[in-house]
Amino acid sequence: MTDTDPIVGRGAKEGAQLFREWFQTLTEAPQRGEQAAYVFVMGSLAEVLRAFDFHTVFPEINSLQTAVRRVAHTYLSTAEDYGYSPDICGYVKADLGMQLRGGEHPMGRIPKPTLAVYTNACNTYVKWAEIWERLYHIPIFTLDVPGSRAAGAQTWPGHPDFENDKRYVAAQLRELIELCEQVSGKKFDIDRLREVMGHANAMSRAWKRVLELNQSKPAVFNAVTDGTVYLGMSNGFRGTAAGSQYFERVVEEMEYKAAHGLGTLHEEKYRLIFVGVPCYPIFRRFSEMFAEWGGSFVSSTYLWFASGGTDLGYEYDLSRPLDSLAEGVLINVRHAMDSMFFQDQTLIDMVGPYGVDGVVYHPIKSCRTVSTGLADNRRRLLETTDIGSLFIESDHMDKRVVSEAQLKNRIDAFFEGLATRKQLAAARG
Amino acid sequence: MAYAAGVDVGSTQTKAVVLNERREIVSRALIDTGANVVLAAENAFAEAMRSGDLRDEEVEYIVGTGYGRYRVTFGDTQITEISCHGRGAVHMFPNTRTVVDMGGQDTKAIRVNPTGEVLDFCMNDKCAAGTGRFLGAAASALEIPLGELGQVALRAEKPVKISTTCTVFAESEVVSWLGKGKKIEDILLGVHQSIVSRSLGLMRRVGIEREVTFTGGVTRNIGVVTVLNSMLGFSVNVSEESHYMGALGAALFAMDRIQARRSPAEVVAEKG
Amino acid sequence: MAPQLLDNWASRPVDELILLCRELVEDTDFPTVKRWRAAGGKVVGHFQVYFPEEIAHAAGCLPVKMRGAPIEARRAEARFGSYLCSILKTSLELALGDHVALDMFVSHPICDAARNLAAVWGRNFSYPCQILYLPQNANSRHSATYLRDEYDRLKREIEKVAEHTVSDDDLRRSIAIFNENRRYLHQLYAIKRETPWLLPADEAYVLMAVGGLIPREEHNELLKAALPQIEARLAKPQDRIRVVFEGGFCEQPPLDMLRAIAQSCYLVDDDLLIGLRWITQDVATEGDPLFNLAQAYLEKSTYSPVQHDLRKPKEEMLLRRIRAAKASAAIITAAKMCEPGLDEQVAYSKALDAAGIPYFVSEFEESMTSFDHVQIQLETFVENLLFA
Repeated sequence: MTDTDPIVGRGAKEGAQLFREWFQTLTEAPQRGEQAAYVFVMGSLAEVLRAFDFHTVFPEINSLQTAVRRVAHTYLSTAEDYGYSPDICGYVKADLGMQLRGGEHPMGRIPKPTLAVYTNACNTYVKWAEIWERLYHIPIFTLDVPGSRAAGAQTWPGHPDFENDKRYVAAQLRELIELCEQVSGKKFDIDRLREVMGHANAMSRAWKRVLELNQSKPAVFNAVTDGTVYLGMSNGFRGTAAGSQYFERVVEEMEYKAAHGLGTLHEEKYRLIFVGVPCYPIFRRFSEMFAEWGGSFVSSTYLWFASGGTDLGYEYDLSRPLDSLAEGVLINVRHAMDSMFFQDQTLIDMVGPYGVDGVVYHPIKSCRTVSTGLADNRRRLLETTDIGSLFIESDHMDKRVVSEAQLKNRIDAFFEGLATRKQLAAARG
Repeated sequence: MAYAAGVDVGSTQTKAVVLNERREIVSRALIDTGANVVLAAENAFAEAMRSGDLRDEEVEYIVGTGYGRYRVTFGDTQITEISCHGRGAVHMFPNTRTVVDMGGQDTKAIRVNPTGEVLDFCMNDKCAAGTGRFLGAAASALEIPLGELGQVALRAEKPVKISTTCTVFAESEVVSWLGKGKKIEDILLGVHQSIVSRSLGLMRRVGIEREVTFTGGVTRNIGVVTVLNSMLGFSVNVSEESHYMGALGAALFAMDRIQARRSPAEVVAEKG
Repeated sequence: MAPQLLDNWASRPVDELILLCRELVEDTDFPTVKRWRAAGGKVVGHFQVYFPEEIAHAAGCLPVKMRGAPIEARRAEARFGSYLCSILKTSLELALGDHVALDMFVSHPICDAARNLAAVWGRNFSYPCQILYLPQNANSRHSATYLRDEYDRLKREIEKVAEHTVSDDDLRRSIAIFNENRRYLHQLYAIKRETPWLLPADEAYVLMAVGGLIPREEHNELLKAALPQIEARLAKPQDRIRVVFEGGFCEQPPLDMLRAIAQSCYLVDDDLLIGLRWITQDVATEGDPLFNLAQAYLEKSTYSPVQHDLRKPKEEMLLRRIRAAKASAAIITAAKMCEPGLDEQVAYSKALDAAGIPYFVSEFEESMTSFDHVQIQLETFVENLLFA
C-alpha cells in the first residue's frame, strides 16, 4: 500500500498504450476500407458517428502531438509556405501540414476524412472544416449549438428558450444522421446509438468523479500532465466500452491514492488551477517549472472544455435517446463554451472545496477563443478574492513565441509571492 | 546623346544611376539617406553628375523609386522599386525569372517575364525578421562589424537553430546561446539560415523559377549568398552592382520614356 | 418620435453634406448618440457584423454600430491579452472611456475573439450585455425557425430595456424603413460601381457609415437628398483600373487608406461595413415580421468570411462580385490578427490564381497612419497592369 503498488500509475500506462493502439487502427483504416470522420473535442458527436462505425479522428489531438514530440515547426512551416499567417491557430496549420504530406504523423499515418463534423464551440472549427472541404470535396457538417447568452443566464430543460435551442439541435442531429446514412451507406440503428450512448454515460459519470477526487489533499493527479492523457482518452474513446472501462479504472486508482494520501509530488506545497491550453512545445519543462516549487495543478478549465463539457457528468436518458442526445449535446457543448468565456465565478467557487492557493492563466497566441477574455477574467478574480494569480503568455504549438526564460522568471516570482502569503497567513495565526 | 537617370531613395541608402542611349551605365552614386530625404535624393543625383562629368540638362528624364520616391522632387515620375528591381535584374542577368531583394527593412520576392515586367510579387510586412535588420541586431549583440558577418558565419560547423522570428528578441536569443557556450560562428550561421528561410517562404509564394537574381544591400554578405544557394540547390545571380538594381531599373524606365517621345522612325533606327 | 440628430443638412450642397458625414463618422465622442440620450432615448449598441437593427428600432431605441475607432485603448488594453485585433479593444474603450453610453450591448460570435466580447463587456458594465446567437448552420431546414425564436428572445430583452412592448406592426413599420434604407445603400453602391468617377470610395463610405449613428429615417432623408446630386455631378471618367476591396467586413481600414487607394484606381465594390448592407432584397412586411427578418438573414443575404453557408462558398462569391463590378483586380486585405480574414486570404488567393485575376494581399489596422505598404503594391499593380 505504497506508491510502488501496481495500481498507482496504471492510468498513465494504460492510457499511453490505448492511445498508441488507437493511432495504429487509424493508420490501418484505409487498407481495411474503413471511413474516418474528422471531429473536434468540443462536441465530437462520437455518439452518432460511432453508431455508423466511423473512426473519429481528432486533428486537435494530432496537432498537439506534433508539438509534444518537437516536430511541430516543420508542419507549421509547410502551412505558412502555403499562405497561412503566423498569427492564426497553430493546430490548423500543423494539420494542414499533415494533410499536405499525405497524413504523415509521428504516431503513424492519419487517414483522409470521409466527412467532417463540428460544432460552433470554436469558430476556427468552421474555417478549418472549410479547408478540408476545398482539399477533399467532402461533406462538412456544422452542428450549431447556441450557447449561454450572458453570464448566469443559462436556461434549463422546460424553459421555453432552452426548448427553442434544443429543437434546433435536435433538427440538426436528425440531419446529421441522414448525412451519415448517405456517406456510410448504412441504415441508422437506434439500438446501436443507445449502446454507444450507454458507454458515453459511464465515461461521463467516471470522469466527473475523477475530477472531484482532486479535492483530496494531496491532489491525486496532475490536471495538466495527467489531464492531457485523460483528455486523449475521453475524446478518442468516447462511446466505447474500452473508454468507459478505462475511466472506471482511473476512478479506482484515484480513490486508492486518495485513501492512502498518495499525491503527484514529493511534497505538495501549493495547489493551483490552470486556466487555458498547455504549452505543448515545452510540455515537460513547463510542468517542471511548477513542480520544482511544489506547485500541483488540482484542476484546469482545459479539462472541462476539451472534454466537450462532459465534466458536468450529464447522463443521457436511454429511454428517449434522440431527445436526450439533443438535450445532452446542448448542455455539454454550452458548458464547454461557458468554461472558456464565463468561468470566473466557477473558479471563485472552487477555491474552497479544492483548497486553491493560486490560479495560473495561460493565454496562448494562436487561440483567441480561450485567450481573449483571460485578462479581464483575472481582473475579476483579483477584485473578488485575495488569491494569488499568474498571467503568462505563450503558445500551444509555436515554439518561436515560447520564451522559456521569460516564463521561468514569472513563474518563480509568482511562487515567491505565494510563499510570502503563506508566511504572512501563518504569522497571523 | 541623351541621358536617363534613376534615383532610388531607400530607408538607409540613396542610389543614383545614369544611362546613355545604349543603356550603358555611365555613372552611379551611393550615399546614406539620413534624415533629410529630399536632400539625399538631390545629393545622390548631384554626385552621379559629378562622377560622370555630366551637366543636369543632359539628363532628359529622371525616375524616382524606392521608399522615398515621392521625395525625388526633381524627378519626372515615380515607379515602385518592385517594378524597378524586376526591370534592373533582367537587364543585368537576362535569364532572370525570379528576383529576391533583401534590403534594410523589407524583403521582396518578384517573379518577372523576359522583358522585366512583374508577373507576381510578395513583400514581408510583419516585421524585420527576414531582412537586413535582423542581421544588424545579431551583429550588435555579438559585437561584430556588419561587413564581417558572412565570413564569420561560414566558419561554423554546427549551426544553432534560431527559433525566434522577432528582431526584438533576436538579440536576447543570441545572448542566451552565447550564455550556453555556443560558438559565435555557429550562432551567426543559425541567424543567416533563419533569414534565408524566411525569404524563401516569400519566394515560394510567388513561385521560384530559375534563374534567381539576388539584389539589395544584403547581397554583400557572402554568408547569406552561400546559405541561399545551398537552400535553393543552385546558384543565384549576384552582382557587385546589386544595390544599384533599383536605380538601374528606374533609369531604364526613364530611357524608355525618352525613346518613346521620339518618332517611331527614329526609335527603329536606334534599335537597328 | 425620432428627433433630428444631424444639424441642418437639408439645404446643403452634397459636398458639404459629405463633409458633415465624414466629421460625424470620425467623431469619437458620438455627438448624435449624446443628443439622442439627452432627448430621453435609449441606445442599443451592437457589434459587427450583422445585427437585426429593426428590432431595436421597433422598440424605440437607437441602434448604434460599435465598430472600433482609431483611438488609444489604454483602459481596454488591460482587459485583453496580445495577438488580438484592434477593433475589439477600441470598441470596449469607447464605452469604458465614456465616449458613448449604452443601455444595452449585443454581440454575435462572428469569430473567436469577438465571442469573448460580451463576457468582458458584461463584467465591466451593469447594463445587459448579451450574445445574439445567429445561426452558424445556415443549411439546416430548421435554421430560420430557430432564428425567429432567437429574435423573439432578443426582442423581449430589448423590451425590458426600452420599457416598451414591441408589436408586430411596430416591427413591420421598422422593417419598411430599413428596407428603404437598404435600397438607398444599394443604389449608392450601384453609382460607385457604374460611374465611379462620380463618387470616390471615401465619400461613399461616409455616406453609408453615418447610418450606424443616426435614426434610419434621418439617414433615408439624407441619402434621398444626396444621391440625385451625386448622379448629377459633372466629373469625367479617367483611365484608372477598376478594383474590388475585400477584407473590411469588421475592423475598418482608415478612411485615409481608402483615399490613398482611390488615387490610383477606382474602388468599384467592397465589403466595407457589409453588415449594414447584409440583406440584399426587401424583407417582406406581411406575415410574421420576425420570421421574415430571420429568413432574410439566411436567404436574401450577401457573404462574409464569418458566415458559413454551403450555398455561398466565399471564393465563388468573391469572383461573382469581381465580375459583376467589371473589376480587373482585387485587393485582398485582412485586419491584423483577424483570424477569419487571414484564413480567407488563402482561399481567395488560390481561387484568384486559378481564375487568372490579378490581386495582392495586404493587412491593415484601424489606427494606422501610413499606407506605404498598400500604396506600393497598388502602384506596382497599375504599373504592370495585368499579371500573366
